[in-house]
Amino acid sequence: MLSYSLLGRTALHHRSNPIGGGFLLFLLPLFSVAQGFEVPAYRGYVNDQADLISDHVERQLERLLQSFDESDSTQVAVLTLPSLGGIPIEEASLQVAEKWGIGRRGKDNGVLLLVGREERRMRLEVGRGLEATLTDLLAGRIIDQVLTPAFREGRYDEGFQRAIGAVIAATRGEYQADPRPRGARGTPGISSYLIFFGILVIFLGVLGRVARLLGGALLLPVMTYLGSAGSVVWWVLLLLIPAGALLGMVLPLFLAGTHRYGHRGMPLGGLPGGMLGLGGGRSFGGSSGFGGFGGGRFGGGGASGGW
Amino acid sequence: MRRLFKLLFILSVLVMLQACGYNTIQEKDEAVIALWADVEAAYQRRADLIPGLVETVKGYAAHERETLTAITEARAKVGSLTLGKEVLENPQAFEGFQQAQGALSSALSRLMVVVERYPELKADQGFRDFSHQLEGTENRINVARVRYNEGVRAFNTSIRTFPGSLTNSLLLKLPRREPFKAEAGAEKAPAVKF
Repeated sequence: MLSYSLLGRTALHHRSNPIGGGFLLFLLPLFSVAQGFEVPAYRGYVNDQADLISDHVERQLERLLQSFDESDSTQVAVLTLPSLGGIPIEEASLQVAEKWGIGRRGKDNGVLLLVGREERRMRLEVGRGLEATLTDLLAGRIIDQVLTPAFREGRYDEGFQRAIGAVIAATRGEYQADPRPRGARGTPGISSYLIFFGILVIFLGVLGRVARLLGGALLLPVMTYLGSAGSVVWWVLLLLIPAGALLGMVLPLFLAGTHRYGHRGMPLGGLPGGMLGLGGGRSFGGSSGFGGFGGGRFGGGGASGGW
Repeated sequence: MRRLFKLLFILSVLVMLQACGYNTIQEKDEAVIALWADVEAAYQRRADLIPGLVETVKGYAAHERETLTAITEARAKVGSLTLGKEVLENPQAFEGFQQAQGALSSALSRLMVVVERYPELKADQGFRDFSHQLEGTENRINVARVRYNEGVRAFNTSIRTFPGSLTNSLLLKLPRREPFKAEAGAEKAPAVKF
């Protein structure tokens, strides 16, 4: 995980008013030591750690955001913190948004509303895929015209409800939820590995004993390399060479027990336990409950304000 | 059998190329170029905002001519910069890019100081919109620069550590990439408090 220590001049930042604060950003050094801020774990769409939202509104928002996620696949998260731990809200919200991975991978359609109670600062962090719809301008207006006045008068519930409503209104229709095939959320990585594994086994079945050893030693690392699109470290591949050799020797023996194959080669049916089918069999049983965030990316879009 | 050995030989060469970091270096270099494109896009976005911002400010503070001209000039200089991959390959162009953008940054921050004297301007919805956009853009620039620097660091590390160092000196001969330095004056806290 990358860590973004964007800003260091914090004391100055807290006291700045909503308009002027952001302009100081570019005056600040690029690398500074990250201070005491730790990204909290999420429990749902709404994470009210500063206890600003009443329980029933919290549940209502949670349901609303869940159904929005299901219909549009756009994920909106809320986090309130008692304190931002001494770092500017822009940095805190980017850290949270990236670590949680709000939004879907590839669509980058996540939004985070972060509120720091002690600092009296709030920020709407907008994912890359939504920057064109929920622009900085619009996010700024939601903060200026909805959140700030409501928070000033202590009407937190209303502020959150209306701000979330505005965010949803702005982003509705931009993305659609993918139709859910079986195992929609299963990782593609596992199934492709299994397919490679299956090919490996078939291939080894055709070969003689020595060739099995050599073949296993080479094919396992090569297939791992290809299967992972080059992101594997080279020493892992080295380690896979003896592992492959061993597999090359042992695997066909096991298979021989379940299915007798001649020297002509092994038919597909000889694969144990529907090996090729495993990847597609994972399903999350419909749409009950919060399924976690989806790995959306953020580029610093959005707006901040204070009250 | 002979054919099989030939195949195995080719495969092992592939594995060895991976082991020597050839692909890693190439990947990281491409990543740096992509990250640079983000940096340029963020800066471009800022340059695009400026004419509108200047117009809005003029409506309330036309006699702050000096500040406004400084911004317009700094923006013109930014507009004349060479862009794209060439900037990365040419340290002078990179330096020039940083300087011109830095000049625009400081012209903008001077404007924001001036703005403090005009409460009606600060309350103007058009100005608030611009200020949010400018804030967002500055934040994006920061993010893009930090990510670029991280990409550069990863790339530089890959060509300086074994086995990448060997591969690079024998095969690729790629130069070290320059990271952004903190802008001049950034180490001092700004004297003005908003």
